[in-house]
Amino acid sequence: MNRFTSQQRKLVYLSAIVVLLIPIIWLGMPATGESGSGGKLAQLRQQYDLGENTLGEIDPTSATMTFMLLGLRGIASNLLWIQAIEEKETKNWAALRTTVDSIVMLQPHYLEVWRFQGWNLAYNVSAEWDLVSDRYYWVKEGAKFYEKGTERNSRAPELYWEVGRVLGQKIGRSDEWRLFRKYFLDDPDPKFEGRPDPELNPAGKDNYLAAKDVFYEANKAEDNQVQHIMMRALFRQYPARSQLDYADALQRHDLFDEVTQVAWAEDFRDWPQNYGRMEFESPGGTVVLESTEDDIQRLAKKDNVDIDTKRHWTARYQDTTNYRYWRTRALAESEPDTVAGHRELFQGKTLFKEGKLDEAEVVLYSGMEKWQRLLQRYPELTIEDETVEIGLSAILLWQYIHQLKGEPLPETFPLQGLWLAHQNRLPEIQNMFNQEFGIR
Amino acid sequence: MSFDPAPYQVTAAIVQWAITVASFALLAFSICLIAAVLSAGSRGPAIVFGNLFSGLRDLADLSARRLWALAQLTIREAVRRRALLVFVVFAILFMFAGWFITNSNDRPELQTRVYVSFVLTAISWLILPVVLLLSCWGLPEDIKARSLHTVVTKPARRVEVVLGRMIGFILVGTGVLVVMGVVGYIWINRQVPTDVRQAYLICRVPVYGQLSYLDREGDPGSGVNTGDIWDFRSYVEGAKKARGIWKFEGVTPEQVGDKLVLESKFEAFRTHKGNMGTGLLVQYGFYNPTTDLRVKVPAFEIHEFSENVQTIDRKLSQYDEVSKEMKSYDLYDDLVDNGTLTIEVQCLDAGQYLGMARPDLFIRMPDRPFWVGYSKALLGTWLMMALIVVLGVTASCFVKGPVATLLVFTFVLLGNTDFRVLMEQMIGGEFKGGGPFENWYRLIMHLNPQVAIEDGPLKVLMQSVDMLLLNFIWLMHQIIPDFTAFNMSPYVANGFDVTWNTALAPSLMTTLAFAIPCLFIGYFSLKLRELESK
Repeated sequence: MNRFTSQQRKLVYLSAIVVLLIPIIWLGMPATGESGSGGKLAQLRQQYDLGENTLGEIDPTSATMTFMLLGLRGIASNLLWIQAIEEKETKNWAALRTTVDSIVMLQPHYLEVWRFQGWNLAYNVSAEWDLVSDRYYWVKEGAKFYEKGTERNSRAPELYWEVGRVLGQKIGRSDEWRLFRKYFLDDPDPKFEGRPDPELNPAGKDNYLAAKDVFYEANKAEDNQVQHIMMRALFRQYPARSQLDYADALQRHDLFDEVTQVAWAEDFRDWPQNYGRMEFESPGGTVVLESTEDDIQRLAKKDNVDIDTKRHWTARYQDTTNYRYWRTRALAESEPDTVAGHRELFQGKTLFKEGKLDEAEVVLYSGMEKWQRLLQRYPELTIEDETVEIGLSAILLWQYIHQLKGEPLPETFPLQGLWLAHQNRLPEIQNMFNQEFGIR
Repeated sequence: MSFDPAPYQVTAAIVQWAITVASFALLAFSICLIAAVLSAGSRGPAIVFGNLFSGLRDLADLSARRLWALAQLTIREAVRRRALLVFVVFAILFMFAGWFITNSNDRPELQTRVYVSFVLTAISWLILPVVLLLSCWGLPEDIKARSLHTVVTKPARRVEVVLGRMIGFILVGTGVLVVMGVVGYIWINRQVPTDVRQAYLICRVPVYGQLSYLDREGDPGSGVNTGDIWDFRSYVEGAKKARGIWKFEGVTPEQVGDKLVLESKFEAFRTHKGNMGTGLLVQYGFYNPTTDLRVKVPAFEIHEFSENVQTIDRKLSQYDEVSKEMKSYDLYDDLVDNGTLTIEVQCLDAGQYLGMARPDLFIRMPDRPFWVGYSKALLGTWLMMALIVVLGVTASCFVKGPVATLLVFTFVLLGNTDFRVLMEQMIGGEFKGGGPFENWYRLIMHLNPQVAIEDGPLKVLMQSVDMLLLNFIWLMHQIIPDFTAFNMSPYVANGFDVTWNTALAPSLMTTLAFAIPCLFIGYFSLKLRELESK
């Protein structure tokens, strides 16, 4: 039997509602925008920068979808992931792109979603296509997807870094790099009328320089939020690495002029003046890669460690980041003599291919002399693969010309020391040489 | 993306249907007879035969006027029950759909597919719950409110009540479908940019052939799997004797015309970089096996995942190695053999592979307007809607509203792709680890499918139970309609016309196959039902 009257029951319900409302209001009251306003959850959100507006741009569609799904967001995301995998396996690219967009609407701040699917589009999907222009389209899709991720997660350095990686490494180092780099400035899509895709390259820059800008953004974001991709000292060097890649790419395009020299000079500034002066935390306290003796002493004093410890950790970080090599290479390549050496070695090859053996021999010899001077000035480069490869290839060609002309080899020649020191690499380089000149 | 419509065997389907319905009728009749004898003794058979004959008489005396009156009543009830509120949901969905599906704009051909699929899927999924609820709750609500009593006391026969309900609900659904279809059509046209509308909102009419392969030695065999998880396509090696051989039937000048339009969608697989700047080269060769004449046409570069259209003139010419001069050939006179055209497809790049599946090459007949295919796809949705109404009304004749809803919903759920495939895998023994009961046991005991279960009573018990369960699943697989047959959006989304043989015929036959027995079941259930027991 119910002992309460209807009115009493209603009063009890009302009291229970009021009592339950108190903790709900205490916990969930929204913030007014002023510091410290709102319920406990709003305050915590403010304290740890977890509010939607502090993480990046707010997408109303995403917010609507998340709201409408109530507690079923996880299930919906899982189903969409399964669908995306199936669409990729069955090569249903249009549907895959749409599904991926739906996933990020549900999980806009889950960085791994952006990283996984961005990679999927730029690397895996693009590789499924045969025409390079089609591949390039999907590389762009991947980069645009990452860019969208940076808009939604403006504080996350990882996503800026991923954009930089696609613009730099994917476009500049793929098998299709020559065409990709060309397309980055001259998009194959007729609607861009020979101009770059404005969404990806509004300033019409070289891909490595565009990547450099994005890596700067990544570093800026990293000033405020820790990244979880790699060691910090490595993460911060990417703008300088991009400049180096840019200068290197000009050489890969056989450009050995003032532009290339300026690019290398710019890169040399980046290493000691920008990256080299950054501070990194090591077990031996703060480390600066471009340190003078005074810097070492000052930092040792500040961190209360002995000078040897500071010196040890500075050297160790320099090794880990390969700092000295990059710095030296940039400096060496920016010298006019080195650029001239590159140019002469390239001209020697070109003349050889044109059948002008005598002229080729003279130019090659001059280039080899310059290369030798370079190695004498920077002996640390004598153990670097690329420098060795260029030197040995030049010698091989020069020797081959002698062979074709039926002339004996001189007893001494420039780069002889390099030749003798790297006999173990000779078979590999000989093979590459034979392939390049069609020698059986 | 796969798109491989399989031809429908009409005669075989009718025969199977007749056997199934006859068996089911015989079984039902026998059960009724036994039940009647048990309850009414020697009068039992007379009662059964009496009901059967009166039922047949009712069916013979159907009145179009009464049917129309009952259908009108059903329509009014549906409107009163706010069935048309579905338009609100539809409107909201289409107002905001652009927010969710506006990507791949740089590739309009891909985006058009997404738009068309979205519209057709949204219409199907919005109409489905409306007609399901209306048809399952109509009769039980009438019985509950006793409004059916006023109908059955009129001259209207119960078969007319069942059929009138079905017609009424189908008309309501038709109205909703037409409005949604028109709005959807306008929406697609507005979404697809004007400059590409002509190119991508089309309705291609394909004629498919049969595909076989020659291996690298030129012997009949199969293609190569290049490591794809998806084995839809097989690959032939370039610059070898490997070929894909298509045979097209019924190729005549009257059917095809003086220009043979071939459309292909091959896939490339490179084992080395090759020439990065160009696609792989593909060449067609026409072959007449009777005269052993082989004529090749100029090679072309493939463009993957998009249309590669080649137009071949009726008059072909080729350099003849024997006479050392150019010779002319007529496609129909010299190369088509008794109406069969054989096309050999090869890749010309050494070390590269060309992937192909049956629908990757077809003869393209003159295109039809987009609305033709779109309307046919809507007709597919209409047939699905009609089937759901038939099932819903039938179920509501013998069970109450919630149970009928659950029953029909289960049919719809189990009749769709994933569950049908699951049932087929279970029946076909493709699942490792035995049947459902054995798998359940393995799950509990943490035994993976490779672990053998020891011989003994437990294994015998499991196998016996599994046999029963699998037979039950087999029966369900036969009874539950194949709802995948109604999904024609892949045709229209891929820019194809919806064909009679592969799409419309199976869906129409499926609906009819269920409508006829359901009408009988519904009628006899309502006839024998005690209306007073609500």
